[in-house]
Amino acid sequence: MISQNVDQKTDLSEYYGIETIGITKQFGGVKALDDVSLTIPLFGITSIVGPNGSGKSTFVNLVTGVLPYDDGIVKIETNSFKVIHAHETPEHGITRTFQEVRLFDQMTVWDNMMVVLTNRSLLPSIFERSKAEHRKKTEEILKQVGMWEKRESMAGELSYGQRKLLEIGRAMALEVQVYILDEPFAGLFPQMLERVKDLLRDLRASGRTVVFISHNMDIVRELSDYIIVLESGKFLLAGEVEEVLNRPEVIRAYLGA
Amino acid sequence: MTDVRSYFSSRSNLLAVVMTALVVAYIGWKITESPDQALQFAFNGMSVGAVYALVAMGFTIVYSTVWFFDMYYGAAAALGAYGVFYLRSSETLGGLYEINNPIVNGIFALVVAGVVAWALHTAFYYRLRSRFSDRTLRITGSVVAAIAGLYAGIVLTYPKELHITLSPVVAALVATGVVLICRTAYIRIAGSDGLKVPTLAALVVGIGLGLFLAVWIADSPGSKLYLSWGVSCFLAGVVSLALYRGLYVYMRERARSPLVMLVATLGILLAFSALIVIVFEPTPRPLPEPFGNETMNILGAAIKGFNIFTIAIAVIGFLGLTWLLKMTTFGRTVRAIGDDEEVAKVVGINTTVIVAIVFFIGAVFAALGGLLSGHDTAIQPRMGLLLLLKGWIASVVGGIGNLQGAIVGGFILGMLEQFGIWDLAGEWRDVVSFLVLILFLSFWPTGILPRK
Amino acid sequence: MNSSSATTSPSVLERGLHTLREKGDLELYANVFIIGIAVIFTLWQGTGFAITLATVFCIWAILSVSLNLVVGYTGLLSVGHIGFFGIGAYGMAILTSDTSYELLRTEAIPQFGWPFFAALPACVLAAGVVALGVGAVFNRFRDDIYVLVSFGFAIIAFNVFLSWRALTRGAFGIHDVQRPSIGGWQLTGDIEFLILCVVFLLIAVGISWFLVSSSFGRVLKAIREDEQVAQVFGYQTTYYKLAIWVISAMMAGLAGGLFGSFTKFVDPNSFILLESMLLVSIVILGGLASIRGSLLGALAFVLLEEGMRFLPFLPDEFIGQARQVVLGVLLVLLMLFRPQGLAGRYKL
Repeated sequence: MISQNVDQKTDLSEYYGIETIGITKQFGGVKALDDVSLTIPLFGITSIVGPNGSGKSTFVNLVTGVLPYDDGIVKIETNSFKVIHAHETPEHGITRTFQEVRLFDQMTVWDNMMVVLTNRSLLPSIFERSKAEHRKKTEEILKQVGMWEKRESMAGELSYGQRKLLEIGRAMALEVQVYILDEPFAGLFPQMLERVKDLLRDLRASGRTVVFISHNMDIVRELSDYIIVLESGKFLLAGEVEEVLNRPEVIRAYLGA
Repeated sequence: MTDVRSYFSSRSNLLAVVMTALVVAYIGWKITESPDQALQFAFNGMSVGAVYALVAMGFTIVYSTVWFFDMYYGAAAALGAYGVFYLRSSETLGGLYEINNPIVNGIFALVVAGVVAWALHTAFYYRLRSRFSDRTLRITGSVVAAIAGLYAGIVLTYPKELHITLSPVVAALVATGVVLICRTAYIRIAGSDGLKVPTLAALVVGIGLGLFLAVWIADSPGSKLYLSWGVSCFLAGVVSLALYRGLYVYMRERARSPLVMLVATLGILLAFSALIVIVFEPTPRPLPEPFGNETMNILGAAIKGFNIFTIAIAVIGFLGLTWLLKMTTFGRTVRAIGDDEEVAKVVGINTTVIVAIVFFIGAVFAALGGLLSGHDTAIQPRMGLLLLLKGWIASVVGGIGNLQGAIVGGFILGMLEQFGIWDLAGEWRDVVSFLVLILFLSFWPTGILPRK
Repeated sequence: MNSSSATTSPSVLERGLHTLREKGDLELYANVFIIGIAVIFTLWQGTGFAITLATVFCIWAILSVSLNLVVGYTGLLSVGHIGFFGIGAYGMAILTSDTSYELLRTEAIPQFGWPFFAALPACVLAAGVVALGVGAVFNRFRDDIYVLVSFGFAIIAFNVFLSWRALTRGAFGIHDVQRPSIGGWQLTGDIEFLILCVVFLLIAVGISWFLVSSSFGRVLKAIREDEQVAQVFGYQTTYYKLAIWVISAMMAGLAGGLFGSFTKFVDPNSFILLESMLLVSIVILGGLASIRGSLLGALAFVLLEEGMRFLPFLPDEFIGQARQVVLGVLLVLLMLFRPQGLAGRYKL
């Protein structure tokens, strides 16, 4: 249905959730991302792949406002943004996880979840403790990721796999359209791996968009509907999985030949 | 061109430029208003700035190696100044407030002994272990360390005979220095050190020069003040080293964040400044008159020869440190540790030793800054913290973690302070420097010369 | 018979002992120890002394609880809190003191002659307004740079107290600060003032507890742990930090107002940087992110000073210094072995 060619975006405009137009980011003179224009469709599972240092994480950081971009425009649905503030990403319908798991370490698992759910405006939040709906949602998600028994322990004391799951769960607690997961599969045991895959499939089944970064080509093949390839800070190509992964330039980028 | 435009497109950069332009315009206006006074203020700013630069340099070398703020530096600066007062109390205040406390002497003697023992252990123990028995080494080391501690105790107990007690040390230092320099130069020129004769000649020259100096110093009581500078700088450095080796090493293993180290060293600063008050009482004290304390007239501005000396010390200190960091193996190692301590460890660098030496050097610089500013004005227990903060500000202004930044920032901060209080009273000086800090952090957070 | 009833329903004492034994909790021991010493002190020294001690404790407790909101819950290591304390004290002094009889001798300062209960809200408000401005500037800094700029605030505040003579009389200080009175009822006695302080302490603790147990408090903790992640989840962290900073400063202003009225004399020496560093050490000593810990820390601090008066080998003029040495060493030991302080829930 979707070809690898971004030129066809006009035909599929109703699908395009996030579109970047020429975004550029420099770190001390080195271009981490150079004039990247691409689109992430608003359905299914999209994966962003590329060799180390190709700018995948930087791209995600720019789109979610964690880092400011030097140049370019990000279009989210119909709105264009010169600047994206991190605190506005939920309003844009986006949430994310981080490559290095970033939980609120010295808070309980329960509180980690609750933070995501409570009131965003200052004054009402002072008078809010926790609402029944928040508790219910927290319980539901903690059970879904299998962390319900651990709810009283500090997030910093969990094992790596549990932390990874909790971070995904924390993102899932926020009901938005797009979930961007930075390396959700890195360093997980097979059992945990299956669990995360299931979570992603559940999200897709409920009509959400999942964007994830991964180095594991088997998982990319297995899960994703759409694939975006970056190479050394530049957009290489995008399209359906099998088609893209069999392209000679992608193979060359991966083998470094 | 595009770079320039993108530089100005950022709001904070634009503001930085505007602020700088305003400051320059203000100073320019002041200069045209009364050039003589401006020159005077510039001189004052330079001499104050030299002290800030010294503290900032000591601070920078440590910070850029271990990447936490060591608040002990405030105590080191105060220790430097109070060390001179302690050793020369018979000459200040007409000898009315002479102070010499056996407990203080004992503590410093113990610290010196401990550090010497550690130095002997790291330098010789593993090298000589194959040749001598463990017991011999340990006993010899302990004896040497005890002798060093005893010697330090004697030096501190008889401050009036400083020129006599310290002359052998000066002789030994000069002799070693001469021999080392000759040897390095000889290796550079001749390319090998196979020949015995030049080494022997250097040895003879060095020992001769050392002996001559020792006799000369022992014969000139006027040198006591300058010897006391050396002693108090050395003691401040030794305490710093002992703190690093005895405490920070273990603390850094446990610390989750640099803030832990900051709070712990804050505790050390609190304890030290309280101890200084207990030993010396909280009232401000003068230090004895150094040379060149009479004012000279240069281009219509009155300046003390001592202030020029302070500026010279700062510049020499900067050149020395730059040489040490850029030209020597030691410097390369220090920079390697600053870049990544774990990697340096893996490569086989004994990071503990190198960092300990860095702490020693840093504290010596801080103590030097403290005692020079003490000679310029007066000393009080609070001065340490203030000097530390000024050094910290200077390194932010110049660019944090950068040695050139430290000296440039020190001088600029000194100048800005002086010109800032032109229309105000002198008591607003600290306010001016903290406003400078906040402006810099807000609009120019990288500082003037950012670290690469 | 007896034993069976004991096993089924253990007495309060037994349960208490059991908790002590089972928990093995440093926090609990510290509680028991410090409060025990306080009780012994009161019994030994008589009520007059105990009232003074308790008032000083209340003021320090309000201060340390307010600082804990910023340091422990939000993770901003501010060393400048004494500035707000000073603003409160000077506000109280300037607004209520009667300096007319001194006009001949030294510089004149404006005279308002407000009653205590009108001046106290003004102090709180003044501290809050200053905090709003300061916080807006400080908000962008973090970690060690935050420490540095907060040092800066303390030094600037001290210099203003010392050098703005037209308002503060500089080093002379302001005498005859009023004690509170309601209508015709003068609360000049020490015991009445203590009750007032306790009431304000309870209010401060209540507000703090209300804040930290709310969603707002949870977001503060999240900001402390990882500000960027909190932003990604839609919180405008700047406003949260500013809000808690202002609230905390207002509490410090309240403590300052009480302090000014309590000592009846305000001069810059009470607000030097050192006091601020001591305050931070109290908060860390008592426990980060724990209101109870801050109360404990303040109590220990006050007792430490008074307790040292009874050390035979310590001359009276060195008590302040000796306390400082003890606090400094404790800070080092805590950072080595227990970075969250005695009763804390947040490891630095």
